[in-house]
Amino acid sequence: MGFFKRLLFGDHKRLHDRESSDPDKEPEHPSSTKLSVNIDYLMHEFHRTSDLRIRILEKGQAALVYMESLVDQEKIHEMIFKPLELGDVEHISDIPNSKVTLNMEEAIQTLLRGHALYMEDGLRGVYQFRVTSSFNRSIEEPANEKVVRGSHDGFVENLMININLLRKRIENRNLTVKYYRLGKKTNNNIALVYIDGVTDPSLIQEIEYRLKYISADMIHSPGYVEEFIEDQTFSPFPQMLNTERPDRVTANLIEGRVAIMSEGSPTVLIAPSTFFSFYQSSDDYNMRWFTGTFVRLIRLASFIIAVCMPAFYIAVVSFHFEVIPNELVMPVKQSINGIAYPPLIEALVMVVIIELIREAGIRLPQPIGQTIGIVGGLVIGDAVVRAGLVSNLMVIVVALTAIASFVVPSNEMSTTLRLLTFPLILLAGTLGFIGITFGFMMILIHMTRLESFGVPYTSPIAPLRIKDLKDTFIRMPIYRMNNRPKDSRAVDKEVIGPSREWKQLERTNNEQQPAGSQEASQQASSESNQSSD
Amino acid sequence: MKKILLIIICLLLLTGCWDERQFKNIKLVMTMGFDQGEDGGIIETVSIPTVNRGTEGQTEERVQVLSTWARTPLEGRDFVDQSIAESFDPAKLRVVVIGEELAKENIYSVLDEFYRNPTNNLNAHLAIAKGRASDVLSYQNISDTMISEYISGVLEGAVASTHATGENIQLICAELFEPGEDFSLPILAVDEEKQLIKYDGMALFHEEQYSGVDIPMKLSTMFMLMQGIKGRVAHLTKKVSDEHEDERYNYVTVNVRGHKRKADISVHKDTVSVDLNLSLKVRVVEYPSDHLQEKRTIDELDEKLSETLTKDAQKVVSLMQEANSDIWAIGRQVKAYYPEVYKELDWAETFPEIEIKPSVKVEVIQHGIIH
Repeated sequence: MGFFKRLLFGDHKRLHDRESSDPDKEPEHPSSTKLSVNIDYLMHEFHRTSDLRIRILEKGQAALVYMESLVDQEKIHEMIFKPLELGDVEHISDIPNSKVTLNMEEAIQTLLRGHALYMEDGLRGVYQFRVTSSFNRSIEEPANEKVVRGSHDGFVENLMININLLRKRIENRNLTVKYYRLGKKTNNNIALVYIDGVTDPSLIQEIEYRLKYISADMIHSPGYVEEFIEDQTFSPFPQMLNTERPDRVTANLIEGRVAIMSEGSPTVLIAPSTFFSFYQSSDDYNMRWFTGTFVRLIRLASFIIAVCMPAFYIAVVSFHFEVIPNELVMPVKQSINGIAYPPLIEALVMVVIIELIREAGIRLPQPIGQTIGIVGGLVIGDAVVRAGLVSNLMVIVVALTAIASFVVPSNEMSTTLRLLTFPLILLAGTLGFIGITFGFMMILIHMTRLESFGVPYTSPIAPLRIKDLKDTFIRMPIYRMNNRPKDSRAVDKEVIGPSREWKQLERTNNEQQPAGSQEASQQASSESNQSSD
Repeated sequence: MKKILLIIICLLLLTGCWDERQFKNIKLVMTMGFDQGEDGGIIETVSIPTVNRGTEGQTEERVQVLSTWARTPLEGRDFVDQSIAESFDPAKLRVVVIGEELAKENIYSVLDEFYRNPTNNLNAHLAIAKGRASDVLSYQNISDTMISEYISGVLEGAVASTHATGENIQLICAELFEPGEDFSLPILAVDEEKQLIKYDGMALFHEEQYSGVDIPMKLSTMFMLMQGIKGRVAHLTKKVSDEHEDERYNYVTVNVRGHKRKADISVHKDTVSVDLNLSLKVRVVEYPSDHLQEKRTIDELDEKLSETLTKDAQKVVSLMQEANSDIWAIGRQVKAYYPEVYKELDWAETFPEIEIKPSVKVEVIQHGIIH
């Protein structure tokens, strides 16, 4: 919808302006035959930055220019000086693996990418050598998306390595990668990855349009991109899946979704995403489907627990204590009798304390982080109850809520859940069960209204599609999920053809067997005789 | 935007928790008792448990029992409220005990308030005290500190062993108002010698009044079975012979496994007669004289048991008619199927006169793992 709105009522003048600054029509500045002019131009353009190195060669007749901080000295030696020493070539300009340009602007761009430029007095051409140095960490499993079984690699900060990981998993000519340069000052490389022929072309168009619309000085991380292109920023729910796992991205690509990757960040955005995709984990598909279903159900139950539990407890003890079972009445009463604060304050204090402990634990180095966990969880928890500030039931409730919120495989959804607890606590504290009902209703209304790139957020529940429920609350055996879910907007529907039909064949064979068993056995024995011969 | 925010803040902060009932700020009343008081008033007795949390998680439980005279139950509640810390709340009421004397007058007058106000617990057990309810409530027992736990435990036990119907305030509501149907309530008695509160049969009601006639403990299981109610176990111990010198050899205890009850109501002109056929499938759980592997013994046992139990059933029926307590809702069935006849009759006067013929047929289906 937003797309059409902007198209119809948007600022067309701005649209026009943007076209003129299209990346295809880059500014040009022709190189000069005079070496000094070229060098001066570069020096000027780089504002005499100290890491721009200019090596004068051949008695001032030629120069090698590079960004010291971007190049690998080894590579320079290997590519440029070694051929000279070995006498393979007469001149640096003769080295075959160079690229020549006559445009100084282009030369500046390549310089920034870590190339070395060779210029000679009297020659217009600028020779570019790719001598970039890069520092990569290993493709370890992402710490926040660990699985028990399955692949243990993860994306890194280098876009090329990330795409390589995908290409290795999908050896298909239809896997398409499109680069975009975003960030007016930082000039980041963003890649849009999809499988042509599976992904809906209009979805790609839409995402492309939104990506191109971004005009910001810096695209710092996928989080930036997400906020620029997602449908609803004023929503607690994430509308794009963030993941650092290549296998998860692969599965989503095959389902017909689009991945947005960016240089310098291991996080990949997946669009369109629905609520249920945040509850899927790669682990589910490596388990037996019974177990997978069980775990899935537990995770979805954790949604309810995380959002409702403190609210429910508050509503019970401050409005509707009739619902406490007879046997529990006295223990509950005993635990909250001497507490000075109303349950609402109690809960808010505890939830905030938990958040404090979590936040403190994340930022600190590992050994101290653990200490914080122990101090926060055990010492404070115990002391707070003994001091009579918080009832021990409230500690149980808040602890369970915190645990439930961490069950969600996606970190964004987990934070969303913890955030949603607060309004519900307030509502429960002021209106009791009615408040919870209203709160939940509002959350549900909001969720059903959300869209992620034209896909209803609660699909396949809210526009009910029973066929697609196979991979939501439950995980059906994989061969049963033979069609792509509709919420990926895939063009190509079928994903799994007949794969377990051998079972039926076997059965029919076995049924036929008794009739012709003698014949078959005779044949078999004769065959074995032949083979022994 | 600002306005909406202001409205939301105002709504939350200004209205803030106006109908809140903090669980920690109330005194739970778990047991209530009503007795006949002077000048047409009542004496309301309540037991209020108080728990105090110690620093090391130890708890101190104390039960406070208060009695007060008042004209109505709610007034009594107000009087009690004035003498306790925090406020009185019957939302988790477990047991209501009504004194014999008051029950004989009318029990609806004390129950009205329970039906009228939504926060009351309609699940609370209802029982009649032999003597005064305040004696039952103020009784100090050793094992269970909480009188409510103790009494409700006694009553639940009676239900499980097919001695009581398990009536609560809600369940008797319809029967209180319905003319052609009556109910019975368990009786609690304080055993001064043994320091116990015990279940002591069922009190038969006629409409809203306790008739004063009870079904004694030894007949109450039969009384329940004749209503078609069976708890978890239903033991019947009967004398089946006089042959043995050792008295214990003359008795058999059976546990009822299955029961089928059929009441045929027949109306001729304006005489109503009822045939109650009860067939019980039982398992012998105690029978020292044994020889149950022989079919003859079992047949004899069947016959003997049928005979004695039919006699018991007749006793139950005569007690019911004496109390004018139409527990089986015969009146209602007559009203439904023979409205003309019912109109002619004054049911309250007819019921004691009608002919009720119970017959019990017992079949032993199991005799335990001994042989």
